[in-house]
Amino acid sequence: MNNRLSFFVPIQSPLHALNPLTKLALVFAMIALAFFSFPWLAPGLVIPIFIAGLVGKVQNQYFFVVTRLILPTVAFMFIMQSLFLPLGDVTIFAFWIFDVTRESLQAAFITVSRIFVMVSSFTLLLLTTHPSELMTDLTRRGLPPQFAYVIISTLQIIPQMQAKAQTIIAAQSSRGLDTQSTFAKRVGALVPLVGPMVFGSLVEVEERAIAIEARGFTSTRVKTSLKDVPDSRFDQILRWGILVIVILAIISRLWLS
Amino acid sequence: MNIVIKDLRFTYPTGLEALRGISLTIAPGEQVAIVGQNGAGKTTLVKHLNGLLQPTQGAIHIGDWDTREHPVSKLAARVGYVFQNPDEQLFSRNVGMEVAFGPKNLGYPVEKVDALVKDALALTELSDKTETNPYDLSSTWRKMVALASIISMDTDIVIFDEPTTGQDAVNVRRIASVIQALRERGKTVITITHDIDFCAENFERVIAMAQGQILLDGPANEVLGQEEILATTYVDPPQLTRLGLRLGLKETVRNQDEFLTAIRK
Repeated sequence: MNNRLSFFVPIQSPLHALNPLTKLALVFAMIALAFFSFPWLAPGLVIPIFIAGLVGKVQNQYFFVVTRLILPTVAFMFIMQSLFLPLGDVTIFAFWIFDVTRESLQAAFITVSRIFVMVSSFTLLLLTTHPSELMTDLTRRGLPPQFAYVIISTLQIIPQMQAKAQTIIAAQSSRGLDTQSTFAKRVGALVPLVGPMVFGSLVEVEERAIAIEARGFTSTRVKTSLKDVPDSRFDQILRWGILVIVILAIISRLWLS
Repeated sequence: MNIVIKDLRFTYPTGLEALRGISLTIAPGEQVAIVGQNGAGKTTLVKHLNGLLQPTQGAIHIGDWDTREHPVSKLAARVGYVFQNPDEQLFSRNVGMEVAFGPKNLGYPVEKVDALVKDALALTELSDKTETNPYDLSSTWRKMVALASIISMDTDIVIFDEPTTGQDAVNVRRIASVIQALRERGKTVITITHDIDFCAENFERVIAMAQGQILLDGPANEVLGQEEILATTYVDPPQLTRLGLRLGLKETVRNQDEFLTAIRK
């Protein structure tokens, strides 16, 4: 059974050791650079992302996400964009009602690069940051705990739901429910599978609410955290550095255009 | 219907070797309890009996069927499996429909389904709750609905996974009487339990498991008397059995009658 909480890979690496806020800042810096700086910068940002993957020692998991999720998505977007963007007149090839121009290809390439950079940055963040560490750090810096709870419980609920769904499927097929053969039978099998899932989830939500309330969740006192999330001098300098680079990049773009 | 397990080995995808060579034969009509510490492989073992898990190595035969050759939904006609948590299977608007779900899936004619449902409800003392929504019942009664919904399938083999966990004394007795009734009908009953008194009072054969292997297998009196071996899988024999051992009684005793008979000798 899948016991993993979200994407996080529990190993040690320079990227894992960074403060969560620094990593979050890096992610947003990459997005800002990709979207608001010079358009030709976006494809180039793929290189630092690959390097970050190697530094974080999560290149295998990252590669997995890229091939299974990101590449198919951006490939689809690339085709759609290059077909439908009504740009330029240097037609490279045309068929039926479609005109693929050099400009539409360029624009499509820039757009998918931006999307690639954005999704990749978040993927690397999730691969190298334990969600509870991120939330602990952000709550300490003033994020409302309710918001953190919503994020954390959402991340935790996915593997739990998977496990629960597996058990329900096992229980119902033990009662002769056919969940594997024809499409019609599968559709018919939906109610016996979804029913216990929904009832069970409602019960769980209530229990969870009681459990966290019993630990003083809504108490307005200042809470201390058991988990100490280190925030080194290097992190702080890095964050300021990121801010300066992003501002410079955006200003220089505005200046030059 | 015979159950024959030959050198069964099972490794979970995580690499955990849960069963390391289990060979076992269970004759028709036997009442078997499986005991052992958490993680000993009890549930993994019984999940092989109706095909929920497929052996990594070895084979299981239910009668003339190899479990690898039949899907779970077909094996359900031979092996009924009552899961630990009733809430993971109840979905119908009322108890009657819930209990009819299994036999309907097995494709029995309407009259047979009705007869089976009526019988299963009577056996589990649910006859007056046919129209009730299962979720309006207390958790003990929901457990009985889960039992009834498997019994109504009229399988030759019935598996219970920890039936008495979280149940009060009255309901434990009710479950024991259901098992007794199944025995009288010649059904094979296999029960996983941590409730050693329940085990001692209701089962003739006891299998003790540890670390994916069978530690002890035999008549309840023999197995429950092996205090030291049972201790290695964190099972305590029933208090009366331990008292009998301390008193140096010749036979191992399981219940009050046996204890009194032995001590009067």
